[in-house]
Amino acid sequence: MWALPGQPEGRGWHVSAVNSRAVPERSTDTGQAAVADLDEQQLIAACLAGRAGAFDLVVERHRKAVYQLCYRFVGNHEDASDLSQDVFLRAYRGLKSFRGGSSLGTWLYRIGVNVCLNRVTVKKPITEDLDARQHVDGSRESQVDRVLREERAAQVRAAIAKLPPKQRATLVLRMYQELSHEEIAGVLGSSVGAVKANFFHALGNLKKILGEMA
Amino acid sequence: MSHLKPEQFVDLAEGMLPETAAPHLAACEACRRQLADLRAMMSETSGVEAPEPSPLFWDHLSARVRDAVAEEAARPRTWRERVLQPLVLVPSLAAAIAAVIIAILLPRAAVAPNIPSLPLPFAENVTVPSPSPSLPPLAPLGASDDPQLGIVAAIATTVDWDEMRDEVALATGGSSDALAGALSIDEQRELQRLLAEEMAQPSALEKLS
Repeated sequence: MWALPGQPEGRGWHVSAVNSRAVPERSTDTGQAAVADLDEQQLIAACLAGRAGAFDLVVERHRKAVYQLCYRFVGNHEDASDLSQDVFLRAYRGLKSFRGGSSLGTWLYRIGVNVCLNRVTVKKPITEDLDARQHVDGSRESQVDRVLREERAAQVRAAIAKLPPKQRATLVLRMYQELSHEEIAGVLGSSVGAVKANFFHALGNLKKILGEMA
Repeated sequence: MSHLKPEQFVDLAEGMLPETAAPHLAACEACRRQLADLRAMMSETSGVEAPEPSPLFWDHLSARVRDAVAEEAARPRTWRERVLQPLVLVPSLAAAIAAVIIAILLPRAAVAPNIPSLPLPFAENVTVPSPSPSLPPLAPLGASDDPQLGIVAAIATTVDWDEMRDEVALATGGSSDALAGALSIDEQRELQRLLAEEMAQPSALEKLS
């Protein structure tokens, strides 16, 4: 049984002793709703109460968005995977301090941006070369078009990786995570005006960097 | 003619603001070009998808997180983590701050009210002979000096030299040696001279006998 930090013993996240995998519970013997059926607030409460599989479900619901955020920041799968794990671990540690002032997703983005910003300040981003990347489904387009599109996408990703951290965060959250400017302001702890200015400058700088790459 | 601001460009490019709300655009070729560039970059950027990892990756990521969390839960907390817990940190900080405040305020509050009424035993123009040429002469004690010195001076006038010597002799072993060791060479010489002078005089007991 796993317990959240500060939880009394006997309450925690149930883990199978055989394969150390936690499984979100589907039914309960206490008449409570199954974890998989809980809405966000109930799920957070379940995590804090140490219900079996509750945090596992948080990871399951948000892992793709968190991974993509990290990937957009660092530009390679290996680092994005490590950072995603770090984001969830920090979320687990800090779940008690989550006040519910924003959605859980926005809160996770905030952690993700902090983790990624810390990462990019200590390590220069390494973007994957074309061959190392897995291609999106392009079966209907010609081989040449697909290669050209991939090439251009790689250039754009590399250009994004060269943006100043705050501009990069703003661009990624707006363009790829589709957060509103207000939500981005909440994540980055800045004003909506500053977010829009950062977005404007990010796109301007992106154009400049891509022009230098050409 | 003032150009559009970044916020206005973003609102226009995202369609949050109709172009009719920015009449400056119709008159400014530079702003129109900049808006077109912005839209073009947004279009190009939005078309760049993140590569989709293998479907197996998601379960792998969940398992990694689960293992990391299990390790975290099993790890004994360091003293730092324990101290930084709000339930420990807040009362500790409050107690520390209170102790500092008490340490600063209490001595002043306890001593200060009694000081002004104490008579100063020394006259303003008393000169103290210098015990050694290398040491600067002590300034006479006056009303403008720290009033706590007045207490020391008042006590000093009532203490018998032999009594004080006996009290010093009761101090912990080696403390007088340590004190003497901390003196400069000139101060040690002066101490020697004073002791020799004192030893040459008859003690209080000898005087009585």
